[in-house]
Amino acid sequence: MSEVMELANSGMLWAIASVIVGIVFFQAFKFMSLASKASGSVGMTKKDVRAAVRTGAISSIGPSFAIVIIAISLISLIGNPVALIRIGIIGSAPIETVGATLGAQAAGSELGTDSFTKQAFTAAVWVMCLGGMGWLIFTALFTKSLGKIQKKASSTPKRMSLFKVVSTGAMIGAFGYLGTSQMIVGLGASAVLLVSAVSMPIIMAIAKKYNMSWMKEWSLGLVVLIGLILGYFLG
Amino acid sequence: MSEKTEAVQMENVTSNSGSLSISKFHAKSHFWGRLTLWSVIILTLTLPMYLSFGLGHHPGWNVILTGFVAYAAIVAVVWVVEPISYYPVLGVSGTYLAFLNGNIGNMVLPSAAVAQEVIGAQPGTEKGEVTATLAITGAAIVNTTILVFVVLGGSVLLTVLPDNVLVAFDYVLPAIYGGVIAQFAIQKPSWGVAGIVIGLAVNLGPIPQAFETFLCVFGTIAACLMLDKMNKDKKEVA
Repeated sequence: MSEVMELANSGMLWAIASVIVGIVFFQAFKFMSLASKASGSVGMTKKDVRAAVRTGAISSIGPSFAIVIIAISLISLIGNPVALIRIGIIGSAPIETVGATLGAQAAGSELGTDSFTKQAFTAAVWVMCLGGMGWLIFTALFTKSLGKIQKKASSTPKRMSLFKVVSTGAMIGAFGYLGTSQMIVGLGASAVLLVSAVSMPIIMAIAKKYNMSWMKEWSLGLVVLIGLILGYFLG
Repeated sequence: MSEKTEAVQMENVTSNSGSLSISKFHAKSHFWGRLTLWSVIILTLTLPMYLSFGLGHHPGWNVILTGFVAYAAIVAVVWVVEPISYYPVLGVSGTYLAFLNGNIGNMVLPSAAVAQEVIGAQPGTEKGEVTATLAITGAAIVNTTILVFVVLGGSVLLTVLPDNVLVAFDYVLPAIYGGVIAQFAIQKPSWGVAGIVIGLAVNLGPIPQAFETFLCVFGTIAACLMLDKMNKDKKEVA
C-alpha cells in the first residue's frame, strides 16, 4: 500500500499534473482575453466584463470547497497528482472514484487495500484517463457541429426525452450497483450509506425552503463530512 | 428584428480598435479550444503510458479493457449527452472551457447563470455567451487555485492526521453513493428503487464481476424505460 502511494506521488506524475494544470490556467486566461476583446461587439462595457468575471469567481468559491472536500478523499485512494489531474480537468470526484474502483476491480483488486498493487494502480489510472477522455475528444471534435445537432435533437422531442431516460437510468443503475456493493461490505458501511441517503434530501429540502443555493452546492460535501464523522465513531 | 438591431449594433462597436467581431471570436475560440483540449488529451495518455511502459507496471490490455468497458457502460452516454444538452447555455467558447474544467452542473452552470443575470444577458444570445465565458474563466481560475493549494497541503494533512481519522475515510464511498442515490430517488422514486433492487440482485447473484456493472446499468435502463412508458400510458388513460 505504501509502495503504491510512493509511486502515486512520484516526480514524473507531479510533472505531468503540473503541465496539465498549467494548460487549464492558460486556457482560462486566453479565453478571458478573447471574450474581453469580443465584449464590445455584443454591447458590453469594461465594467460589465469585470462584473461577469467577478460573479463567476465568487459563485465558484462554494462549489470549489465542496469539490475539494471530496477531492481529499480521492487523494487517499489514488495519490495527489492523479487526484489533481482527475478533478482539475473534466470529471467530478464521485465519478472518478467509480473509474478508479472499476480499474482496480478489473485488476482483481480493491481501492485502499493491500491488494491495490502498482499494476492495479496503473489499471485504475488507465480507466480514469480513458474514461475522462471521452468528453474531451467529443468536445474537441464536435463543438463546431453541436449547434446543428442540437437543432435536430430538439426538433424531435420524443427522441430527446427517451435519450434522457436512458442516460438517467444509466446513472441510477451505476450508483445502484456501487451503493449496494458498499452495503454488502459490512454494517458500518451500510449505516453510513443509509444516514447519507437520509441526510441528502433533508439538506436539499432545507436549502430549497430557505432559498440557500450555497447549501445545495455544499450538499455532497456536507454528506461526506457526516459520513466521515459517523465513520470516525464507528472506527 | 431584434437580431438585425443587434447586428447593426455589432457593426458599430466593432469599429473600435482592439476589439473582436463575434465570428472572429468564435474562430479564435475554436483554434485555442481545440489546441488546449488536444494537448490535455495527449498528456492524459502520457500518464498511464509512462506507468505501463516507462516503469513497467503494465497490468495487461485485457485488464484495462475490462475496466474501461465497465466504466464506459456508465459514462459513454454522458460523453455525448452533456455537451449537447449544455451547448445552448455555454455556446462555443463556454463549451471548450466547461468540458476542460468539469464540475459543470455544480459549478460552471451556476456561475454562468448568475453572471448572466447580473449583466442582464439572455442565455443563448451572443451577449449571453460572452458573459458566460467570462464568468466561467473566473470560476475556473478560482476553482483550480483552491484545488492546487488543497492537493499540495492535502498530502501533508494526510501524514499529520491520526490513524483513527484516516480509517474514517473508508466511509467516504458509502457516503457519496448513499447521497447520490437518494438525490436521484427523491426525484424519481420508482427509478431509484429499481436501481437498488437490481443492484442488490446483481451483487448477491452468481454473476461474474466483469459483467456486474454492465448488467446493472442496462437492467436499470430497461426498467426506467418501462416505468417511463407505464407512466405515460397512465397519463394518457387519465
